This record gives sequence, structure tokens and C-alpha cells, in this order.
Amino acid sequence: MAEDRQPADIVEGATTGDVEDEVQPTAKSAEDRKAAAALSKLDAHGDDETAPAREVDQEAVKNAMSALGDGAVKKEVKKAVKVDAADVNLLVDELELPKAKATELLKAHDGDAVKAMRAYLQPDF
Amino acid sequence: MPQTLSTREANLFRTVIRYYEDKQYKRGLKAAEQILKRNPKHGDTMSMKALILNAQGKTEEAFALAKEALTIDMKSYICWHVYGILYRTNKNFDEAIKAYKFALKLEPDSHQIQRDLAVLQIQMRDYQGYIQSRLAMLKARPQLRQNWTALAIAYHLDGNLRQAENILTTYEKSVTTTPLRTDFENSEALLYKNTIIAEMGDIERALEHLETDCKNCLDRLAVMELRARYLAQLGRKQEAAKAYRALLDRNPEHPEYYKGLINSLGIPAVAEAAQKAVYDEVPGDFFRSTAKEYLTLMFDKGVPSTFANVKHLYSDASKKDILPALAREYLEELRGGSVARDQANGDSSKGEGAALYFLAQHYDYYLSRDLARAMEYVEKAIELDPKSVDFHMTRARIFKHQGEIARAAEAMDHARSLDTKDRYINSKAAKYQLRNNENEKALATMGLFTRAETVGGPLADLVDMQCVWFLTEDGEAWQRRGNLGLALKRYHTVFNIFDTWQEDQFDFHSFSLRKGQIRAYIDLIRWEDRLREHPFYFRAALNAVNLYLSMHDKPQNGTNGVEAGQANGEDAAERKKAAKKAKKEAQKAEREAAEKAAKQDPNKAGAQKGKDGEEAKKKDEDPNGVKLAATTDPLGDAMKFLWPLLQFSPRNIEGQFAGFEVFVRRKKYLLALRCLKAAVAIDRGHTRVLEQAARLRKVLDGAMDSLAPKVKGVIETELAEVPGA
Repeated sequence: MAEDRQPADIVEGATTGDVEDEVQPTAKSAEDRKAAAALSKLDAHGDDETAPAREVDQEAVKNAMSALGDGAVKKEVKKAVKVDAADVNLLVDELELPKAKATELLKAHDGDAVKAMRAYLQPDF
Repeated sequence: MPQTLSTREANLFRTVIRYYEDKQYKRGLKAAEQILKRNPKHGDTMSMKALILNAQGKTEEAFALAKEALTIDMKSYICWHVYGILYRTNKNFDEAIKAYKFALKLEPDSHQIQRDLAVLQIQMRDYQGYIQSRLAMLKARPQLRQNWTALAIAYHLDGNLRQAENILTTYEKSVTTTPLRTDFENSEALLYKNTIIAEMGDIERALEHLETDCKNCLDRLAVMELRARYLAQLGRKQEAAKAYRALLDRNPEHPEYYKGLINSLGIPAVAEAAQKAVYDEVPGDFFRSTAKEYLTLMFDKGVPSTFANVKHLYSDASKKDILPALAREYLEELRGGSVARDQANGDSSKGEGAALYFLAQHYDYYLSRDLARAMEYVEKAIELDPKSVDFHMTRARIFKHQGEIARAAEAMDHARSLDTKDRYINSKAAKYQLRNNENEKALATMGLFTRAETVGGPLADLVDMQCVWFLTEDGEAWQRRGNLGLALKRYHTVFNIFDTWQEDQFDFHSFSLRKGQIRAYIDLIRWEDRLREHPFYFRAALNAVNLYLSMHDKPQNGTNGVEAGQANGEDAAERKKAAKKAKKEAQKAEREAAEKAAKQDPNKAGAQKGKDGEEAKKKDEDPNGVKLAATTDPLGDAMKFLWPLLQFSPRNIEGQFAGFEVFVRRKKYLLALRCLKAAVAIDRGHTRVLEQAARLRKVLDGAMDSLAPKVKGVIETELAEVPGA
């Protein structure tokens, strides 16, 4: 499988075809559509469409999809912990954590800065 | 609102895009200008122009223009998308994600944007975001298997194994026709599911699934290996042993299988006691006779790796004594002529040389070291065969262990000259030259094996080839020579190479999925997550941190950081002189390299000219690290190296020590204490732990009042638990 060695769509920086996909729907004349289609073939992402269509039971998929819907949105219910902005800043400053991490750490310790800092000091290995 | 163009210009706009995709940047720019002449405020065109500018390397201009385009046309998803692409190519992935999300909000049906966003999210390990993106992509095209697999991957990496399995099963159930046996994607997906089940810890079910659903999988070896492992894990030893035997039939050279077989035969349960008994009770008789047979065979053949093959036995004291005795015995027998070896072979010196060589290595080995005797033996061996690369190499090595660095380098270079086609000995010679602070010579040695065409000479090629060991050793040598700039330069280069390895995964998020090779992909992701645990990273980073520390403690007055600090007397003058010389040499080498590059350039430039807009390789603005060494904030610069060090190698006490030193100087006492506590956990009694603890206490005594009350409280309670504080 020689063609497996290098992904065909590897282009330094932006992938090709980023914008062309978007343009497709706006193509008006037949010629435009043809050009767009030709272009999209150059785009290796096009594999998606050309992949051999497997026989999929549409009904089953539909059912499966609807079952998925809630499963994914399900998130753990987080405790509502009030966090003092001054404490967040203290942690950001003293422990050099990003703000989000500092807030998370505080929340995990009921907003108690001293507890949070002590916990952070412990070797975690 | 999206601005409309006339038909003619709309066509022109499409050609702009096409030119961009074909990398015909100049033509693309021209076309864009044409549109802008009539519609100077057309946001989409401005964005495309920015994209082209960015591809030409004019990053700042590109950003300015893209921003302007955005302010003109806030509601254009193209503008937002381009903005995201700009951020992405400049590796600001967080901002890129934001821009993509906005573009997607404006154009929710764009597969392209959704796909780009998803790739960024998994690259940044935003699992929640990735799950959402993958779910949306699955909903858009549920008929594609890879969309299902991708969602499973998202859940899997997020740690939700049950849901991951569930997704895969759902797809399997929705397929009406049985997949072909040759369907690689199907085969891999089944095995992927199997590994998920095993990861959940349900080995029983994993085995069952393997034996039923995966029995026809195309990766037979994986099936066999997994089966053997599961059986062993389940304690079904007889079957496991059988499975491992089957694997050994396929490949008798794989040590893991032997381990598996030994384990399933139940040997380790008695191992230690049994082994001890064997050694104590039967004083090596059996070992002796077997070893003798082995060594005689190897010596007769003149196998140079004989010592390397048996040295692992040296951890056992009796074997350590028996093996050299056997070698000596062999020599005596040869000399006494007691055994009339078949002289038909003609090469009786081969055996003698091999045995002498074995003994030289024996006395050079750290568990049985006697360097004078080692030298004696190796000289004798060389006498027999003066052209042997191996003998000379070991001679160099013995010099190194004697601390004779210069002679070691010389000897290794001599060994190299005996076989100039061998890359291994070539690298060895270069390394020994670096240990002897001969950077230029080492580079020339390496240059014998680098690509001659590379612009920038051997060094550029070594950087391209990500030759980390050389860069690290080179940096260390420069550091010893007092050229901080070049030392830092090398450490930064190593750092960047690790960055590159992290970015390399980018392409695989979509590629692996398309090829259906999910297990390898998961391995890759997990490897990437722990990339900077690598000892190569640790070494270069620790060097850099320590160098920055010394720069902080002894600010340099020279701009290049070449001049050493004010040490006293002649020593300093001498060092200064040496440093100056080093600087000159470096400049000379640089000049020569530049000249060489210039000579090669013409062809190169000619070749490149053909392609419109093909950008030349970015020029290094600071090849000698002058700017790096001129930093006014060495401690700040050290942080980039230090964080990964502490995060990925927390058990290495040297890293914790270095972290303490940096944090204490930066007055980040909590973080210094954190390093100290980690060091205590690693090695309580280490003298440096006690020293650092006492120092922290002393510093804090003077600084306590300036600390925030909460911090003060934490430090007081935590420091009390540290010995020596």
C-alpha cells in the first residue's frame, strides 16, 4: 500500500480546499459547478464521498442517532461553588496557573484558597 | 451582511481561490487586487488576499489585513474562517478555535469548517469540544463509518470507555450486510473495540469478543498477541503458555514472548529462591560448562559483540568471576596449543583477538573495572589486528573512562579512519570530539555523512534531520567553552524539535481516521501526550535551565555572553582568552558555512524560481544565539524549559532542584516549596534537600511579612514538614 505512506492532503499550513467547499453552494452556472466539482476532487478530503457506500440500515441509524442525542449532552452536574476573584488572582500569581486552571483548583476545594494551595504543593507522583 | 459582487467579479473571486490552492500566489494577488480596485471594501476578497500574503510569509501584513476585513464584514464566515486559518498556521491554536467556532456559527452547514475545528480541538486535547464537533459531524453524515469511529475515539480519549464501545456497537448493529473479510477498516474497528473492552478491565469479555468477533481480523499477529495476554491475565496459564509457544513459532527472536511463556509456566513464583539455590548449591558447574561452550563458539568465530551479549549476567557476582576466567582459560589453551583447532580455518588469531577483546571490555565495564588492565588487553588485541575498528573504539573508551578526554577523542578518530564508510563509528568520533570541546572538528566529522546539498552546511542538515544527540552534545561543549549564545541556541533548537514532534500529529487526526488505523492512532496520541518525558528533552532542558540560572547569578557584560564573569586572576584572563578564541573560531566556521552555502545557492535559486511564490526557507535571524544570550530576563526564559521538566519528569530530583533554584530567585516561594517537597518525596536524605530547605527558611524569615496572609499560612504549615527547614 504505497499510497499509505503520506497522507495526500498534507499541505503546509492551511489545508487546500478550505474555502472551495464553501463556495460550492454559491456556484451558479453549470460551468462553475463543474469547476468546483473538479476542484473538490483534487481535495483528498473528498475521500469521504467517494468511499464505497456501505449498506446501512437507515432506520437503524436514525434510531441510534436519536438515542445518542441525550447521551452526549449529558454532563456531570457540577457543584455550584462560589469563588472569590481575589483568590483566583492570588493563585494565578503565586502558582502561575492559567486563570481557568486556578478557578478549577479553587472549585475543587470549595473555594478555600488555603486548602487549594496546600493541595497543589503536594507531590502528585 | 455578505457583500455581493458582480458576476464578473464573483468569477474573479473564484479564480483567486483557485490560485491560492494551486499556490500561484502572485497571480492570486493580482486577481484579488483587481477585485479590490472596484470594491475596495470587499471583506471576503481582503481575507483571501491576507491568506495569500500569509502563505508568502508576510504574517504581520496578513493579520492586519484580515483584521481589517473582519471589521468591515463581521458577518462573513469566510472572514472568520480565514482569521482562524491565519492563527492556525501561526500555531496560536486557542485563538484559531475561537475564530473557527464563530465561522461555524455563521455557517453551521460547512463541513470544512467543522472538520478543521474538530482537528484543532483534538490537537489541543479539548475532549468535550471534540465530542460535540464529532457528534455534529456524525449527525450530518451518519452513513459514514469513520464518523462513528471518530465519535468513539472522542469518548475513549475523554475516558468514557463505555460510551465509546456503545457507539461502535451501535454502528455495527445498523449495518445490514456482513462486511467482507478483506474489509480492513472493519477489521481494525473490531480490534479497536476489543482494546476498549480490555481497557475497561473486563478481560473475560475482551477474550470472548476476541475469539468470536475478531477471529477473522486481518491483523493475525495482534489477535494472537492479545489472546496470549488475556489468557495470562486471566490466569489460564496452560492455554497462555500454548498461545505464547504459538507466537514463538512465528517469531523465535522476540524476547517478550519468552517472558510471557516463562510467566505462564509459573517460573517466577519460585524464581528468586530457585535461582539463589542454583547459584549457591550447585556452584556454577552447570553455568560454567554451558558458558564455556558458548564463549568458545563465539571466540572461535571472532564475534565482537560477545561481551555485550553476556554482560547482563554480571549482576550476579559468581558469574562475573567465571566469565573472565573462562576467557583466560581459552587464551591459555590456545597458546599451549593443547587443542589443535582446525587450522584449516586458517584464522587462529581471530579467536585470540576476540578473547583479548572480551577481557579488555571486561576490565572496562563499570562492575569489574580495572582500567590499566583493560588497556593492557586492548593493546594486545590491537597488536594482533591493528586494523580492527572495534579494538580501537574500545581503546578510546578506556581513555575516556580514565578521564583522558583528548586522547580518547584522538583514539576514536583513529578508529573512525579505519572504516570511513561506517556511520556508527563516525558518530562516535564526533561525540568524542565534542566531549573534548572540539565543536568545529566534530561538525566536520559529522559532515562526512550529511547531505552535501543542504543549504547551510552540515549543521543545517543535522537540524533538519533532528539529530538531537548531536545538538545537545554540541550545546554542552559550547557551554564548557563559555559560548553561552551557541549553547542556548542548541538547547532551543532541541526544544523546537520536540515542538515539531508535537505538531506532527496534526495530520494524523484526519489521516488515521480515513485509513481506519485507529489502534495505531490512539498509541500515537498517548505517546504525544508524554512526549517530553523523553530523557533527551530532560537533558537539554535541564542544561538550559541551569545555564539561565548561572546567567542570572553572573550577569554577562559581553553582548555575546562569551566573556565569562569576573572570576579572579589569571584564570579569568585565560578563560576570557579561550572564549574569545572560541568566538573567533565560531565566526570563522559561520563564514565558511555561509560561503559554502552561497556557492551552492545559484542552482538552488534557479530551481526555486520556477515555482511562483515558493518561499525560500526562512532565514535564521540569530544563528549564533547572540540574542538569546543577551536576554535581560534569563529566569523568565528558563520557564519555557522548566515547566515541561517539572510536569513530565517529576520524579527526577535534578529537575526539582533546578526548579527550586529558579523559583526562589523569582520569589515564587510556594512553587519553590512545591519543588522542595517533591525532592523530599524522592530522596529525603539528599544533602541538597537539606541545603535548599535551610536556604528557603532563611529567605522566608526575611520575606514573610511581604507575603499575602493566606500564602504565609500555607508556607508555615507546609514548610514545617520539610526536614532541615
